[in-house]
Amino acid sequence: MPDGNTTLTSLVWQPIPGADGAQIYPLIRKIDTISSNSYLIATPDALILIDPGGLPGQAEQMSLVIGECRQEQDRPVFVILTHAHIDHFAGVLGVPAFASAETAIFAVQDLGGMALERGDAKMTQGELLGREIPPMTVGLHLFPPTWEADMNIPVAAAFPNGATVTVTYGRSGSCGGLPSARLEFGNGPALEIFHTPGHSPDSICLRMGGLFLIGDILFAANPGIAGLYGWDQEALIRSLGGVLALMEGCGITTICPGHGRVATAPDAARMLSAVMTDARALSNIAELNSERAGQAAAFAEDCMEQVNELFTIMAGRLYYVSYVMDELGESDMAEQMGALIPGNAIDELLEAFTAFAEEHHRQEHVPVYLALKAGQVVGKLDRTFNKEELTHIIDPTLVTRAGRLLSDYTTMFRGFNPPGEVSECCIVPVIEAIVTGLSVSACSDEDLLSSADDDAAFLQILLSRIGTRPLLEDVAFSLDARERSLKVFVDREHLSDLVTYILEDLVGTGSDQVTIQVQQEDRRVLITVSGNVTAAARSETSKTRSFLTGLCQRAGGSLACTEDGGMHRFVISLGME
Amino acid sequence: MEIATTKRENATILSVTGRIDTATAPALEQAINQEIEHQNRKILLNFSAVNYISSGGLRVLLATAKKLKNPGDRFALCSLSPEVMKILKLAGFTSIFSISPTEGEALAGW
Repeated sequence: MPDGNTTLTSLVWQPIPGADGAQIYPLIRKIDTISSNSYLIATPDALILIDPGGLPGQAEQMSLVIGECRQEQDRPVFVILTHAHIDHFAGVLGVPAFASAETAIFAVQDLGGMALERGDAKMTQGELLGREIPPMTVGLHLFPPTWEADMNIPVAAAFPNGATVTVTYGRSGSCGGLPSARLEFGNGPALEIFHTPGHSPDSICLRMGGLFLIGDILFAANPGIAGLYGWDQEALIRSLGGVLALMEGCGITTICPGHGRVATAPDAARMLSAVMTDARALSNIAELNSERAGQAAAFAEDCMEQVNELFTIMAGRLYYVSYVMDELGESDMAEQMGALIPGNAIDELLEAFTAFAEEHHRQEHVPVYLALKAGQVVGKLDRTFNKEELTHIIDPTLVTRAGRLLSDYTTMFRGFNPPGEVSECCIVPVIEAIVTGLSVSACSDEDLLSSADDDAAFLQILLSRIGTRPLLEDVAFSLDARERSLKVFVDREHLSDLVTYILEDLVGTGSDQVTIQVQQEDRRVLITVSGNVTAAARSETSKTRSFLTGLCQRAGGSLACTEDGGMHRFVISLGME
Repeated sequence: MEIATTKRENATILSVTGRIDTATAPALEQAINQEIEHQNRKILLNFSAVNYISSGGLRVLLATAKKLKNPGDRFALCSLSPEVMKILKLAGFTSIFSISPTEGEALAGW
């Protein structure tokens, strides 16, 4: 890599700027949860592999490159982990080149080193990913408890494979104040290591010349990563501050993350600042353990089925508006409407998730993979549709429910629990407002007439008239709520969504007589939504039922469903105190 | 997705089995277009064995409705599963083309 070039090419040897005689051979992967990038640094005195990755094939591939280097000039091999998470090291298990201290010396921050030596499945995330971790030998524990007592004193260490390294601990001084270790392998360029806990207690960043290898700190505030066992918000914020300070004016040009593409220092600084903002908002998140991953995965599947249905209906509505506008000779407008939701892209995302989930169940993978996949899909969906514009054309309840579902998943997956705000309110006016919203057209005849002199306003109202269809307009509906002053504790938004989903389910499958009854029973209020069952079988599946049950819990209540005497009943029970 | 084509009372009936999604919707559109090209302009889609339709499938239905609106043309759906019925109803499609419980009821009057 010539000076001034801030990119790295995967699987190619290139010089490290500012580190005479040192070269780097990166293996850069697409981002996933299975394996990290690997970086092999060659100096005249040592071969240093940073993060062998989680896949045996990847570790094997790097061992072959190491073998070639050793044939050219035999040198001791060090394996340094940016942290002891399974995706950064498990590939070495079973690869002979890394099997003993005779062939490679593992250097890991002390806490990570101890975790590897005892085969700690929790700290290494093996437990979350359903893997056992055999104990490993770690030759060099970085930042042991005594490191501060040894500050500024070079300490030489010798290893069974003949390797030597001199370690000098210190602090990064004006560049962030991070605990640092200077590793010297003979007379070649030194490797500086900084202890940057937060993503994990043993996280480190490494610098040689203009290169800065930062492990997973870029992803440390992401949903599904923040909250992992060992994650620490305060430590992360401190480390981010130190890393950002290091990157300002300390000669760092190129940032090598643990996953994904290499970045320039200014780009990485922007990304790290965003991570800092996200990290600050993550107080009191729950730990992401196997149990929570299981809950997230189950919620993800329920959620995706509903999201799929909502997006199909929204896209269908827009196609319908487009069709009518075309009939009216407004072909430009028709085209605009058809493009408001990228239907194909959304279909492909959701279908890819369905296929992933099917394969996931076939292979009996651990839940966290499904939860992470859902997190990716939800993030993409959320960026894909323009909620503001859509609410002016199609039923706002469709748009807000889709948005809330995506947001609920992200919130839950981030570790905030429960996503909802329960407060006391009079329930009957709340139900009346929901029902009114589903019975009355968004734009009245009067609105349409009064806009006749204004082309833009008329078109907007016309689009809205075509795009919205009150759910209850063709249904014989009645609300039986005699006691108007009943107060309950409820999350109104989730209750509104729940009642709307239930009414859609009834009306959508053919019920033409629907009632809602609100009554007190002991210290609870029961909201019973009933609809007649038509000849066609109902579409409500057990998955839908588990979705509705979960939604009712987020609203602050419980749900029971029954079918008898030609009627289908959903009973929502809410507490009065 | 599989499509079986039969003729009955001047109508072409396309009986679809499986999911109509991004991958399969183009095949459905192609099958319908082939019939229209052969001047078979009375088309009934039997969806009794379709349990999923994506927005891509909805677009094919609307495109067909646009093509079959000349006098004498007919386009209808029948035997919808509750899942597909719910999507069509909530998307507002039930006002564009007729939907019947059975083939016989759909073809009455064609």
